[in-house]
Amino acid sequence: MNLRDELKEAIRHRSLAMTLEEAEKLAGYVGRMPTPLELHLFDTMWSEHCSYKSSRSLLKLLPTHASSVVVGPGEDAGIVKFTEHDGYSWDLVVAHESHNHPSQVLPVEGAATGIGGIVRDVYCMGARVTGSLDLLRFGDPLGNSGEKTRAICRGVVEGIWKYGNALGVPNLGGDTRFHRGYDDNCLVNVVSLGFVRHDRIVHSFVPAEAHEEQYVLILVGKPTDDTGFGGATFASADLEDESEKGAVQVADPFLKRVLSEANMNVLDFLFERGIKFGFKDLGAGGIACVTSELAAHGNLGIEVNLDLVPVSIPDLPSEVIACAETQERYGLAVPKRIAAEVLDIYNEKYEMPRLFPGAGATVIGTFTAEPFYRVLHCGREVANTPVEYITEGIIYDRDWKPSPASVIEPDSRPCDPPEDLKRMLLSLDGASRSPVWSYYDSEVQGSTHFRPGEADACVTVPIPGCRAGLAVSGDGNPWIGELDPFLAGAHAVGEAVRNVVATGATPIAATDCLNYGNPEKADVFWQFRRGVEGIAAACRELGFEGEDPLPIVSGNVSFYNQSSQGGAIPPSPIVAVFGRIDDFTKSTDISLKTPGDLVILVGERMDELGGSLYYRTCIDHRGGRVPAFRGKLEREMALFVLRCCEAGISKAVHDISDGGMILAAAEMAITSRPDARRGILFDTDEMDPVLLYSETPGYLIEMSQESWNAIESKPGFLSVAGKVTDEFSIAAPGWKMDLLEILEDHASRLDRIIWREEITE
Amino acid sequence: MKSAPLVAVIQFPGSNCEYETARAVRSSGMESCIYRWNQWRELKNSRPDAYVLPGGFSFQDRIRAGAVAAKERIMDLVFSEAADGKPVLGICNGAQILVESGMVPGWEKGRIETALAANHISGRSGYLSGWIFLRTTARAQQICPWLGMTGNGVIPLPIAHAEGRFVFSEENHYRAESSAALKYCDAKGTESSDYPINPNGSFLNLAGVMNEHGNVLAMMPHPERAFWMWQLPPWIPGEWGDRRDKSLSSGSHAAAKGPGSMFFMSLADYFRGER
Repeated sequence: MNLRDELKEAIRHRSLAMTLEEAEKLAGYVGRMPTPLELHLFDTMWSEHCSYKSSRSLLKLLPTHASSVVVGPGEDAGIVKFTEHDGYSWDLVVAHESHNHPSQVLPVEGAATGIGGIVRDVYCMGARVTGSLDLLRFGDPLGNSGEKTRAICRGVVEGIWKYGNALGVPNLGGDTRFHRGYDDNCLVNVVSLGFVRHDRIVHSFVPAEAHEEQYVLILVGKPTDDTGFGGATFASADLEDESEKGAVQVADPFLKRVLSEANMNVLDFLFERGIKFGFKDLGAGGIACVTSELAAHGNLGIEVNLDLVPVSIPDLPSEVIACAETQERYGLAVPKRIAAEVLDIYNEKYEMPRLFPGAGATVIGTFTAEPFYRVLHCGREVANTPVEYITEGIIYDRDWKPSPASVIEPDSRPCDPPEDLKRMLLSLDGASRSPVWSYYDSEVQGSTHFRPGEADACVTVPIPGCRAGLAVSGDGNPWIGELDPFLAGAHAVGEAVRNVVATGATPIAATDCLNYGNPEKADVFWQFRRGVEGIAAACRELGFEGEDPLPIVSGNVSFYNQSSQGGAIPPSPIVAVFGRIDDFTKSTDISLKTPGDLVILVGERMDELGGSLYYRTCIDHRGGRVPAFRGKLEREMALFVLRCCEAGISKAVHDISDGGMILAAAEMAITSRPDARRGILFDTDEMDPVLLYSETPGYLIEMSQESWNAIESKPGFLSVAGKVTDEFSIAAPGWKMDLLEILEDHASRLDRIIWREEITE
Repeated sequence: MKSAPLVAVIQFPGSNCEYETARAVRSSGMESCIYRWNQWRELKNSRPDAYVLPGGFSFQDRIRAGAVAAKERIMDLVFSEAADGKPVLGICNGAQILVESGMVPGWEKGRIETALAANHISGRSGYLSGWIFLRTTARAQQICPWLGMTGNGVIPLPIAHAEGRFVFSEENHYRAESSAALKYCDAKGTESSDYPINPNGSFLNLAGVMNEHGNVLAMMPHPERAFWMWQLPPWIPGEWGDRRDKSLSSGSHAAAKGPGSMFFMSLADYFRGER
């Protein structure tokens, strides 16, 4: 067999995702037929998941620089400056990923591993993880694949609570949406955040000191098995069927908790001794990636001995030991002279081998001055390649072809506010998410101020003793995505910004996860391109610190969310925005407070109901003109809301999104105190679907008449919409919707459909 | 002589509420130190005045929640200290450990006389987090050092557990009431065995059970998560809702103490009385 045929055979036999051209490139690098380990290592490094080979050229459009950015995209997590407290600078660490394919195939494990993986990215920057949130997209639980969709939904929520609650990281909400375009590909996007003292940021490469002194590589955590072998490659192909369960990893929050405590202790020890080190979590590509990247990014080589790796299954081939994605492991590059002390912390002080069979810390490699990646196993050399190639990566320029949806408005737009509101409150997208949140521990760590549902964003007080509050929200609307991929990107930023601003927090950073179908298809790649352009445009307009844009500091691209029948998901750019409020006690929730107060509408309503909840739910129409993104106006409105909060005059603030002004009003009433129920009486008797249901970005603010009167030179986007009443209803002269009669239904709707399988439709 | 009472918070592998619990103790004017499960010697030498077993998932809830931790050597020390009358509080997983070690209700030494079974009640099974209301029994207010200041009012606290249903064997039903310390009720103080007032189907609507002398208390709700007023949800009704609104409007919100603080302040008060 000649080399070409041998490579072809290896790709087929090993189910590699790399093309023959890529395999030939690798063979050229090593100057021979690559070893199995080399093939799998490069298959992972060059997978879409790790290399961003299709997306990288477009991701350059995203604004990533701002004066607040400490670490932008490129390392495991992004870092921005947060606050000063007690003589130290504290930074916010954020990461955002998808775990879509695994969650579709094995929902519990897939979603659990999603959290497990993303928190490691934050931990390994040296941070304490203080929150995570999941952005979930499921198919139609009442549609053709309803039974499967409901099972996936239950499984994903179970995976999230079982992992997150046990790990002790509060769940800060996220969102849950349903669209039949996700019937064959659910989306599980995960965001994690944490805080680190600025002088204690850890990097994921071997430090420069390793050129002067012998450094070794410590592998710590769960013993290696064969789980997740080929995981990154699995995430980089169309989802064919469920025969690929072996590529899904198995998560263990218990081990992770102990490991995190031990890591904290190790990091304290190293910092106190003034020792420079590198620290990186094991994710895609397992040991092979962590060892080669720690070395390559530090301009060193490394020699790894696989015989030293603790394994839980005997006789694993070298490529499996090296590339399996066994969870709950980290790699640590430290000077040889203190390695024994570090091992002691893990193995003796925290007793990892006793707590979990085979777990613990072991030295498995030695950094070398020669820039080669060498791996030994059973006395043989199973890999030997120059390190520079490993991180070099590849780039493709994909073709794209515009395929815009045509704008079709409905023939008529009947408007019956009480009936329409009821339909929306009981719709899948309008029903309360509390059945989902009731499984999540949102309060562990004792720093939660607003839980999911209480305000537009969760607000926490993450640094004990410091008044700086953090607000976080993640958003993305598939119903906009299917009509206008550019606006889907722009509004994902816009809505997340509004949610953060509504609490009184100033947006300081964003992350994104770009979920699309197969990028090799020109129409899909156009959707992706437009989504990136939309996010970039919105971030450039919605910066709140000086002239800086809102920086994207971390993110992820998830392609191939497409079933073998060819159906791609709706374009789904999902954005998380992080905000800071200097005094958290000034933050605002959404609940109505005082009868007689005014309800102020921020943002004129426009006739742009395309993709709205009203169209979908009340008149069964899909299509239409999507709300425009008006960046300058959006920013001015946000600044007004922030000023009101700072002045202490806003008693409740809720952004207007799904269901328009009327649904926002109902949600503000529903969250009022049960022993002090409140409602809203709108001023106008006009039954106008544009006024009541348009999802043009905006806010409702509760404030007293005196506060309203005291506002000098009111901007043109403000108007008085109505008054707070002591009746539990949404009403206007001529109509009234009593909320008590649907309260229980609204609260339990998802529980009844998803968990109790009470399907009445 | 020590300047302030020392409260030991014990960290088991899988505990995850130890830090905020220790902070709650310190914010009540006492000292607190976290001891790892294998630091029994250090724990013994430091001679704490009271012990807290915090929430979490000790030992991965292997066998049953709390079962493995209850057999750890460090628990022998807690057991004998409790027998000497030292105050011991178990919160959530800590309560499960106390139950599994037989320290509550503790009618007969070392016997396991109650269990914290999986949540099960018409309306909801499985893991549940949310806010509940409870009241302290009259007897517990008198004899339990953690409850002296809790009064007769309705106390809102958060829960977050999958196994929080106190159950007793039938022959012990008659004496379960004597060990009742905390009972679920509605926002107005009326007891009920209906979900969600009773969130898990617990016998006698029990949220907390104590030993005979009242010095050991096992409770499922998390007082450390309601230590500060700002930890309360905006919708909390009744007296604590009114207090929350007041602290907000008066500008004292960041420092105002919430309902969960009463459990720790009671202990501090108990030590003041003792000395």
